[in-house]
Amino acid sequence: MDYKYIEQLLERYWECQTTLEEEAILRTFFRQEDVPASLLPYRQLFIEEDEMADEHLPEGFADRMLRLVDEKTSPLEGGSEEGYVCKARRMTVIHRLRPFYRAAGLIAIMLTIGNAAYQSFIDEDSEATPVAESVVDDSLQHITIGSPEQQSAKLDIQPADTLDAFTR
Amino acid sequence: MENISFRTTVLPLGDKLYRLALRITLNRAEAEDVVQDTLLKVWEHRNEWEQINNLEAFAIATCRNRALDVLKRAGRKTAPLDVVDNRQQTADNGQQSLEAREQLSLVRRLMDGLPEVQRAIMLMRDIEGQTYQEIAQVLDISETQVKVYLHRARTKVKKGLEIKD
Repeated sequence: MDYKYIEQLLERYWECQTTLEEEAILRTFFRQEDVPASLLPYRQLFIEEDEMADEHLPEGFADRMLRLVDEKTSPLEGGSEEGYVCKARRMTVIHRLRPFYRAAGLIAIMLTIGNAAYQSFIDEDSEATPVAESVVDDSLQHITIGSPEQQSAKLDIQPADTLDAFTR
Repeated sequence: MENISFRTTVLPLGDKLYRLALRITLNRAEAEDVVQDTLLKVWEHRNEWEQINNLEAFAIATCRNRALDVLKRAGRKTAPLDVVDNRQQTADNGQQSLEAREQLSLVRRLMDGLPEVQRAIMLMRDIEGQTYQEIAQVLDISETQVKVYLHRARTKVKKGLEIKD
Protein backbone atom coordinates (compact mmCIF):
# COMPACT_ATOMS: atom_id res chain seq x y z
CA MET A 1 0.00 0.00 0.00
CA ASP A 2 1.28 3.46 -0.87
CA TYR A 3 1.48 5.78 2.10
CA LYS A 4 3.05 8.67 0.20
CA TYR A 5 -0.04 10.85 0.58
CA ILE A 6 -0.17 10.27 4.35
CA GLU A 7 3.56 10.91 4.65
CA GLN A 8 3.22 14.17 2.76
CA LEU A 9 0.23 15.14 4.86
CA LEU A 10 2.12 14.36 8.04
CA GLU A 11 5.09 16.42 6.88
CA ARG A 12 2.75 19.33 6.26
CA TYR A 13 1.11 18.74 9.65
CA TRP A 14 4.44 19.23 11.45
CA GLU A 15 4.95 22.43 9.45
CA CYS A 16 1.44 23.67 10.39
CA GLN A 17 0.38 23.78 6.75
CA THR A 18 -2.53 21.36 6.95
CA THR A 19 -6.18 22.37 7.06
CA LEU A 20 -8.54 21.06 9.73
CA GLU A 21 -9.98 18.66 7.16
CA GLU A 22 -6.52 17.26 6.33
CA GLU A 23 -5.78 16.88 10.03
CA ALA A 24 -9.02 14.91 10.36
CA ILE A 25 -7.80 12.59 7.56
CA LEU A 26 -4.57 11.99 9.49
CA ARG A 27 -6.52 11.28 12.67
CA THR A 28 -8.73 8.77 10.85
CA PHE A 29 -5.69 7.09 9.32
CA PHE A 30 -3.90 6.69 12.65
CA ARG A 31 -7.00 5.23 14.30
CA GLN A 32 -6.55 2.04 12.30
CA GLU A 33 -4.33 -0.73 13.58
CA ASP A 34 -2.49 -1.32 10.33
CA VAL A 35 0.06 1.49 10.30
CA PRO A 36 3.47 1.10 8.58
CA ALA A 37 6.52 0.96 10.82
CA SER A 38 7.85 4.29 9.54
CA LEU A 39 4.71 6.07 10.79
CA LEU A 40 4.21 4.06 13.96
CA PRO A 41 6.06 6.49 16.30
CA TYR A 42 3.47 9.17 15.59
CA ARG A 43 0.38 6.98 15.96
CA GLN A 44 0.15 7.35 19.70
CA LEU A 45 0.01 11.14 19.46
CA PHE A 46 -3.20 11.03 17.44
CA ILE A 47 -4.67 8.26 19.57
CA GLU A 48 -3.99 10.20 22.74
CA GLU A 49 -5.38 13.40 21.32
CA ASP A 50 -8.57 11.49 20.55
CA GLU A 51 -8.69 10.36 24.17
CA MET A 52 -8.08 13.86 25.46
CA ALA A 53 -10.97 15.08 23.31
CA ASP A 54 -13.15 12.60 25.16
CA GLU A 55 -12.56 14.11 28.62
CA HIS A 56 -15.81 15.38 30.16
CA LEU A 57 -16.97 17.15 33.26
CA PRO A 58 -18.26 14.81 35.93
CA GLU A 59 -21.93 13.93 35.98
CA GLY A 60 -24.09 16.32 37.93
CA PHE A 61 -21.93 19.32 37.12
CA ALA A 62 -24.54 20.89 34.84
CA ASP A 63 -27.30 20.60 37.48
CA ARG A 64 -25.04 22.05 40.16
CA MET A 65 -24.13 24.89 37.84
CA LEU A 66 -27.77 25.70 37.07
CA ARG A 67 -28.59 25.80 40.80
CA LEU A 68 -25.65 28.13 41.43
CA VAL A 69 -26.73 30.42 38.63
CA ASP A 70 -30.30 30.50 39.91
CA GLU A 71 -28.99 31.50 43.34
CA LYS A 72 -27.12 34.39 41.76
CA THR A 73 -30.11 35.58 39.77
CA SER A 74 -32.11 38.41 41.24
CA PRO A 75 -35.87 38.04 41.86
CA LEU A 76 -36.35 40.91 39.38
CA GLU A 77 -35.09 38.61 36.64
CA GLY A 78 -37.50 35.90 37.74
CA GLY A 79 -34.97 34.33 40.13
CA SER A 80 -33.99 31.79 37.48
CA GLU A 81 -31.63 31.65 34.51
CA GLU A 82 -34.43 30.26 32.35
CA GLY A 83 -36.06 33.64 32.06
CA TYR A 84 -32.93 35.32 30.80
CA VAL A 85 -32.58 35.14 27.04
CA CYS A 86 -30.39 37.61 25.22
CA LYS A 87 -31.31 38.36 21.63
CA ALA A 88 -27.92 38.84 20.03
CA ARG A 89 -27.35 39.63 16.41
CA ARG A 90 -24.65 37.60 14.73
CA MET A 91 -22.22 40.08 13.23
CA THR A 92 -20.76 39.18 9.87
CA VAL A 93 -17.87 41.05 8.26
CA ILE A 94 -20.38 42.85 6.04
CA HIS A 95 -22.32 43.99 9.11
CA ARG A 96 -19.16 45.16 10.80
CA LEU A 97 -18.10 47.19 7.76
CA ARG A 98 -21.54 48.77 7.29
CA PRO A 99 -20.61 52.05 9.07
CA PHE A 100 -17.64 52.38 6.71
CA TYR A 101 -19.87 51.89 3.68
CA ARG A 102 -22.14 54.61 4.98
CA ALA A 103 -19.21 56.95 5.62
CA ALA A 104 -17.80 56.22 2.15
CA GLY A 105 -21.23 56.89 0.59
CA LEU A 106 -21.55 60.15 2.49
CA ILE A 107 -18.08 61.26 1.38
CA ALA A 108 -18.90 60.35 -2.24
CA ILE A 109 -22.12 62.44 -2.08
CA MET A 110 -20.27 65.37 -0.52
CA LEU A 111 -17.54 65.18 -3.15
CA THR A 112 -20.14 65.09 -5.94
CA ILE A 113 -22.00 68.11 -4.55
CA GLY A 114 -18.72 69.95 -3.92
CA ASN A 115 -17.51 69.19 -7.42
CA ALA A 116 -20.82 70.35 -8.96
CA ALA A 117 -20.70 73.56 -6.92
CA TYR A 118 -17.11 74.19 -7.91
CA GLN A 119 -17.94 73.50 -11.55
CA SER A 120 -20.83 75.96 -11.52
CA PHE A 121 -18.58 78.53 -9.84
CA ILE A 122 -15.98 78.08 -12.60
CA ASP A 123 -18.70 78.43 -15.25
CA GLU A 124 -19.94 81.65 -13.67
CA ASP A 125 -16.40 82.92 -13.60
CA SER A 126 -15.86 82.24 -17.31
CA GLU A 127 -19.18 83.93 -18.14
CA ALA A 128 -18.05 86.97 -16.13
CA THR A 129 -14.91 87.48 -18.28
CA PRO A 130 -16.64 89.03 -21.38
CA VAL A 131 -18.40 91.42 -19.02
CA ALA A 132 -15.05 92.51 -17.71
CA GLU A 133 -13.80 93.02 -21.25
CA SER A 134 -16.81 95.17 -22.08
CA VAL A 135 -16.14 97.18 -18.96
CA VAL A 136 -12.60 97.71 -20.19
CA ASP A 137 -13.88 98.79 -23.56
CA ASP A 138 -16.37 101.15 -21.94
CA SER A 139 -13.76 102.65 -19.71
CA LEU A 140 -11.50 103.18 -22.71
CA GLN A 141 -14.32 104.82 -24.53
CA HIS A 142 -14.79 107.15 -21.60
CA ILE A 143 -11.11 107.95 -21.67
CA THR A 144 -11.04 108.52 -25.44
CA ILE A 145 -13.95 110.96 -25.37
CA GLY A 146 -11.59 113.65 -24.08
CA SER A 147 -9.49 114.77 -27.13
CA PRO A 148 -9.55 114.22 -30.92
CA GLU A 149 -6.03 112.83 -30.77
CA GLN A 150 -7.14 110.37 -28.23
CA GLN A 151 -10.18 109.54 -30.38
CA SER A 152 -7.96 108.80 -33.34
CA ALA A 153 -5.64 106.85 -31.11
CA LYS A 154 -8.64 104.75 -30.01
CA LEU A 155 -9.18 103.62 -33.57
CA ASP A 156 -5.66 102.21 -33.70
CA ILE A 157 -5.95 100.33 -30.46
CA GLN A 158 -7.05 96.72 -30.80
CA PRO A 159 -9.15 95.13 -27.97
CA ALA A 160 -6.33 92.77 -27.06
CA ASP A 161 -3.91 95.63 -26.72
CA THR A 162 -6.39 97.62 -24.63
CA LEU A 163 -6.77 94.81 -22.19
CA ASP A 164 -3.02 94.47 -22.04
CA ALA A 165 -2.61 98.16 -21.44
CA PHE A 166 -5.34 98.14 -18.81
CA THR A 167 -3.79 95.33 -16.85
CA ARG A 168 -0.42 97.07 -17.03
CA MET B 1 -30.98 37.31 15.47
CA GLU B 2 -29.73 34.59 17.79
CA ASN B 3 -31.12 33.77 21.22
CA ILE B 4 -28.42 33.29 23.82
CA SER B 5 -29.32 31.64 27.08
CA PHE B 6 -27.15 30.20 29.80
CA ARG B 7 -28.62 26.73 29.43
CA THR B 8 -28.39 26.42 25.65
CA THR B 9 -25.33 28.51 24.79
CA VAL B 10 -23.05 28.90 27.78
CA LEU B 11 -23.39 25.63 29.70
CA PRO B 12 -22.54 23.42 26.66
CA LEU B 13 -19.11 25.09 26.57
CA GLY B 14 -18.34 23.39 29.89
CA ASP B 15 -16.54 20.32 28.52
CA LYS B 16 -14.35 22.35 26.19
CA LEU B 17 -13.42 24.69 29.05
CA TYR B 18 -12.78 21.71 31.30
CA ARG B 19 -10.30 20.18 28.85
CA LEU B 20 -8.44 23.46 28.61
CA ALA B 21 -8.38 23.96 32.38
CA LEU B 22 -7.26 20.37 32.85
CA ARG B 23 -4.34 20.75 30.43
CA ILE B 24 -3.23 23.86 32.32
CA THR B 25 -3.77 22.82 35.94
CA LEU B 26 -3.30 19.08 35.31
CA ASN B 27 -5.67 18.50 38.20
CA ARG B 28 -9.28 17.42 37.77
CA ALA B 29 -10.73 19.01 40.89
CA GLU B 30 -9.03 22.32 40.18
CA ALA B 31 -10.09 22.21 36.54
CA GLU B 32 -13.70 21.69 37.62
CA ASP B 33 -13.51 24.67 39.98
CA VAL B 34 -12.01 26.78 37.20
CA VAL B 35 -14.90 25.89 34.86
CA GLN B 36 -17.44 26.70 37.57
CA ASP B 37 -15.83 30.11 38.20
CA THR B 38 -15.64 30.78 34.49
CA LEU B 39 -19.29 29.96 33.82
CA LEU B 40 -20.40 32.07 36.77
CA LYS B 41 -18.34 34.97 35.47
CA VAL B 42 -19.93 34.63 32.03
CA TRP B 43 -23.34 34.65 33.73
CA GLU B 44 -22.44 37.77 35.71
CA HIS B 45 -21.71 39.49 32.37
CA ARG B 46 -25.13 38.53 30.95
CA ASN B 47 -26.11 42.14 30.37
CA GLU B 48 -23.12 42.48 28.02
CA TRP B 49 -23.69 39.31 25.97
CA GLU B 50 -25.10 41.34 23.13
CA GLN B 51 -21.98 43.49 22.98
CA ILE B 52 -19.50 40.61 23.32
CA ASN B 53 -18.38 39.71 19.80
CA ASN B 54 -17.69 36.06 20.44
CA LEU B 55 -19.04 34.64 23.68
CA GLU B 56 -17.13 31.36 23.28
CA ALA B 57 -13.81 33.15 22.81
CA PHE B 58 -14.61 35.27 25.87
CA ALA B 59 -15.35 32.17 27.95
CA ILE B 60 -12.19 30.36 26.79
CA ALA B 61 -9.99 33.38 27.50
CA THR B 62 -11.58 33.75 30.97
CA CYS B 63 -11.08 30.05 31.69
CA ARG B 64 -7.42 30.17 30.66
CA ASN B 65 -6.76 33.20 32.86
CA ARG B 66 -8.49 31.56 35.84
CA ALA B 67 -6.51 28.34 35.38
CA LEU B 68 -3.25 30.28 35.19
CA ASP B 69 -4.24 32.14 38.37
CA VAL B 70 -4.75 28.80 40.12
CA LEU B 71 -1.26 27.69 39.08
CA LYS B 72 0.21 30.99 40.17
CA ARG B 73 -1.50 30.90 43.55
CA ALA B 74 -0.30 27.35 44.11
CA GLY B 75 3.17 28.42 42.94
CA ARG B 76 3.64 25.38 40.76
CA LYS B 77 4.22 24.46 37.16
CA THR B 78 4.40 20.67 37.24
CA ALA B 79 1.76 17.96 37.07
CA PRO B 80 0.24 16.82 40.35
CA LEU B 81 -0.16 13.11 40.83
CA ASP B 82 -3.88 12.70 40.28
CA VAL B 83 -3.80 13.08 36.50
CA VAL B 84 -0.82 10.78 36.18
CA ASP B 85 -2.56 8.15 38.30
CA ASN B 86 -5.68 8.52 36.26
CA ARG B 87 -3.71 7.94 33.06
CA GLN B 88 -2.32 4.71 34.40
CA GLN B 89 -5.83 3.57 35.26
CA THR B 90 -7.05 4.43 31.78
CA ALA B 91 -4.19 2.44 30.28
CA ASP B 92 -4.92 -0.54 32.52
CA ASN B 93 -8.61 -0.46 31.79
CA GLY B 94 -7.90 -0.35 28.09
CA GLN B 95 -5.84 -3.54 28.40
CA GLN B 96 -3.02 -2.03 26.48
CA SER B 97 0.47 -3.44 26.38
CA LEU B 98 3.21 -2.16 28.66
CA GLU B 99 4.87 -0.52 25.69
CA ALA B 100 1.68 1.28 24.68
CA ARG B 101 1.19 2.40 28.28
CA GLU B 102 4.74 3.77 28.39
CA GLN B 103 4.22 5.64 25.18
CA LEU B 104 0.83 6.85 26.37
CA SER B 105 2.56 8.46 29.29
CA LEU B 106 5.26 9.77 26.99
CA VAL B 107 2.81 11.64 24.72
CA ARG B 108 1.12 13.28 27.70
CA ARG B 109 4.46 14.00 29.32
CA LEU B 110 5.66 15.64 26.14
CA MET B 111 2.51 17.72 25.82
CA ASP B 112 2.36 18.63 29.49
CA GLY B 113 6.03 19.61 29.37
CA LEU B 114 5.38 22.28 26.73
CA PRO B 115 5.26 25.95 27.72
CA GLU B 116 1.67 26.81 28.68
CA VAL B 117 0.87 28.89 25.60
CA GLN B 118 2.13 26.16 23.24
CA ARG B 119 0.16 23.54 25.17
CA ALA B 120 -3.01 25.63 25.05
CA ILE B 121 -2.64 26.22 21.31
CA MET B 122 -1.98 22.55 20.61
CA LEU B 123 -5.09 21.66 22.61
CA MET B 124 -7.28 24.22 20.88
CA ARG B 125 -6.11 23.15 17.43
CA ASP B 126 -5.57 19.40 17.69
CA ILE B 127 -8.17 18.46 20.27
CA GLU B 128 -10.88 21.11 19.91
CA GLY B 129 -10.39 21.59 16.15
CA GLN B 130 -10.41 25.38 16.31
CA THR B 131 -9.23 27.55 13.42
CA TYR B 132 -6.10 29.69 13.65
CA GLN B 133 -8.34 32.74 13.61
CA GLU B 134 -10.36 31.54 16.62
CA ILE B 135 -7.22 30.70 18.59
CA ALA B 136 -5.71 34.09 17.76
CA GLN B 137 -8.86 35.78 19.03
CA VAL B 138 -8.82 33.89 22.33
CA LEU B 139 -5.15 34.55 22.99
CA ASP B 140 -5.21 38.07 21.55
CA ILE B 141 -2.23 37.40 19.29
CA SER B 142 -1.82 37.24 15.50
CA GLU B 143 -2.54 34.13 13.44
CA THR B 144 1.13 34.07 12.44
CA GLN B 145 2.15 33.93 16.09
CA VAL B 146 -0.32 31.10 16.67
CA LYS B 147 1.33 29.12 13.85
CA VAL B 148 4.81 29.85 15.21
CA TYR B 149 3.88 28.56 18.69
CA LEU B 150 2.08 25.54 17.26
CA HIS B 151 5.04 24.71 15.04
CA ARG B 152 7.35 24.80 18.04
CA ALA B 153 4.99 22.60 20.04
CA ARG B 154 4.55 20.00 17.30
CA THR B 155 8.28 19.92 16.58
CA LYS B 156 9.08 19.24 20.24
CA VAL B 157 6.48 16.46 20.44
CA LYS B 158 7.73 14.95 17.16
CA LYS B 159 11.35 14.94 18.34
CA GLY B 160 10.31 13.42 21.66
CA LEU B 161 8.44 10.62 19.90
CA GLU B 162 11.33 9.94 17.51
CA ILE B 163 13.89 9.80 20.35
CA LYS B 164 11.73 7.28 22.20
CA ASP B 165 11.46 5.22 19.07
